[in-house]
Amino acid sequence: MIIRFSSVVPHPLSDHKFHDESIWNSNFELDSTLNSNILLNASSGKGKTTFSNILVGLRKDFSGCIEFDGKDINSISIHEWVEIRTKKISTVFQDLQLFPLLSAFENIQLKNEITHTFSEDQILNFLDNVGLIEQKDQKVSTLSMGQKQRVAIIRALCQPFEWLILDEPFSHLDIENSKICFDLIQSRCQKLKAGFILTALDPDESISFNSYLKL
Amino acid sequence: MIMLKKILFHNQDKVQFSIAIIGTCIGLLFLLSSIHYLVKINEFGKGEEILGPNTMIIQKKVSSASSLNLTKTDFSFDEINRFKKEPFVADAQAVICNNFNVLLLTDDPLVPKFSSDVFLQTVNTKFLDVSSKQWKWKKGDDFVPIVMPRDFLVMLNTFMSSSGIPQVSEELAKEIQFKLRISNEKNKEFVVAKIVGFTNEIPSLLVPESFMNYANDAFSTGKDGKITNVMISSKEGEFGRMEQFLNDRGLESRKSQVVIGKLKSVISTLFLVLLVISITAVLISGLVLIQYLQLLVYSNKYEIRTLLRIGYQPKILIRCFTYYFAKIFGIILLISFLLFLIVKYIVDQLFQVGGISLNNGVSLLSIFFAIVSFCIFVFSCNLVARRKIMQEF
Repeated sequence: MIIRFSSVVPHPLSDHKFHDESIWNSNFELDSTLNSNILLNASSGKGKTTFSNILVGLRKDFSGCIEFDGKDINSISIHEWVEIRTKKISTVFQDLQLFPLLSAFENIQLKNEITHTFSEDQILNFLDNVGLIEQKDQKVSTLSMGQKQRVAIIRALCQPFEWLILDEPFSHLDIENSKICFDLIQSRCQKLKAGFILTALDPDESISFNSYLKL
Repeated sequence: MIMLKKILFHNQDKVQFSIAIIGTCIGLLFLLSSIHYLVKINEFGKGEEILGPNTMIIQKKVSSASSLNLTKTDFSFDEINRFKKEPFVADAQAVICNNFNVLLLTDDPLVPKFSSDVFLQTVNTKFLDVSSKQWKWKKGDDFVPIVMPRDFLVMLNTFMSSSGIPQVSEELAKEIQFKLRISNEKNKEFVVAKIVGFTNEIPSLLVPESFMNYANDAFSTGKDGKITNVMISSKEGEFGRMEQFLNDRGLESRKSQVVIGKLKSVISTLFLVLLVISITAVLISGLVLIQYLQLLVYSNKYEIRTLLRIGYQPKILIRCFTYYFAKIFGIILLISFLLFLIVKYIVDQLFQVGGISLNNGVSLLSIFFAIVSFCIFVFSCNLVARRKIMQEF
């Protein structure tokens, strides 16, 4: 899936002046088939979350044009967005968007129920890998932020995708857990021949990417 | 689906929900009851009486002056046409009487010989609760269909029991063959007659208009036929105005017709008022339930938005809310129906004590209205859920 940006500027940033390397107000394209592991690194208030939200159709307040495989995303219908969100682009939201009343396992299963990607055993295996097997039946509202982030990451992996957008997914994880989660993400992306874009404030230097974007 | 329910329906205001449910239940109970009794009251007396509903025969009051020929007791065609123009009159037609001599005789080996002078009258088919196929006659037909006064059957049965013969029911009487001897001073003719129905309202035998015309032409005694009776039917629920009209013009009808008509009119009006109140109550309580649905969607804004963001189709969520509220309304409807059956049993007993025996069955119209209100409610829920959920996409 090719994502093409043409002079895109979010409305809240329309008065800003962008440097030459910024993705805002510039023309470039991202190709998922090139096994792209992209880091979008920027300080607060530069539009990392805006970038993520625009790509999954949650925000439309921007000028310029974004195309998915040549189609302007402003012309994408609700039905097509549902298709994109379940088959082409998966997301880990910055605020995680979990259901506090459901358990860790139920939160993941809720997504898996519509995509039918993994068996229950496979999901439990994922939880085991990220060290959450004992918390599987615990309500998400009682989990720590780091634990919630791991649940959100596994949930995002429970679907086919061509791009995985991760908005500061490791902000509350220690280096060890960040590495475990990164390996999980990388392995799933390789299996699906998909690319991912990870936004971060201070990226862990032990994690390497093959491409970088700036804001 | 279980997880979806857990997410979407946990956040409920039970007090408001209970009030909406109780309100809808009471509204539906009144709706079912009022429609049922409105139908049953209007059906009351049907089948027993061959004259159509709200129909009566009127005549001018006979006074001392009219006995002395100072005032007329017959109707002109102009008068009948004026009746037809009254807004509460559905139709009015002259009742034509025989202008020849008539004798009714039994002509059946199973029934003893019996004969009696009778009067014939004829009214238009549209006033009779009898099929137009049965109510016709042409020269050469096997028999003349007749409608007999019930009093006449009582008289016949009295005669039969005194002769040591078992009495006959209305159904059996319809199988007995009669003969009519129609004559004037010079000629006479016998025609076979068969009963097709009974009436409490007319003291003479009713025959088809074609037979009356034929007999009046062939056996006229030479005297002018006067119209002394007019058959008139009032529009539904307009009986009060009709009664006032009759009083104002010095017209009268049989007391029983007036009493039953007035009773039906009053009870129908009461149930009509109750029906309007019930529809309003169902609408208001339905609106409260729909408002509750809106509130539920609003209080689950985060959950709905998140489900849509992780790829749930809006139609799955719309269906989830619609099914939930359809199920609630279905249960309310079921409870209301059971309560209605209890109320119906009690009210029917009260009517029975009052001497009014209503048909035991449940009116199909009330079931139809219950289904219609369910469909309208489910459709409205779907519409509201769709609008609210799509806003969150």
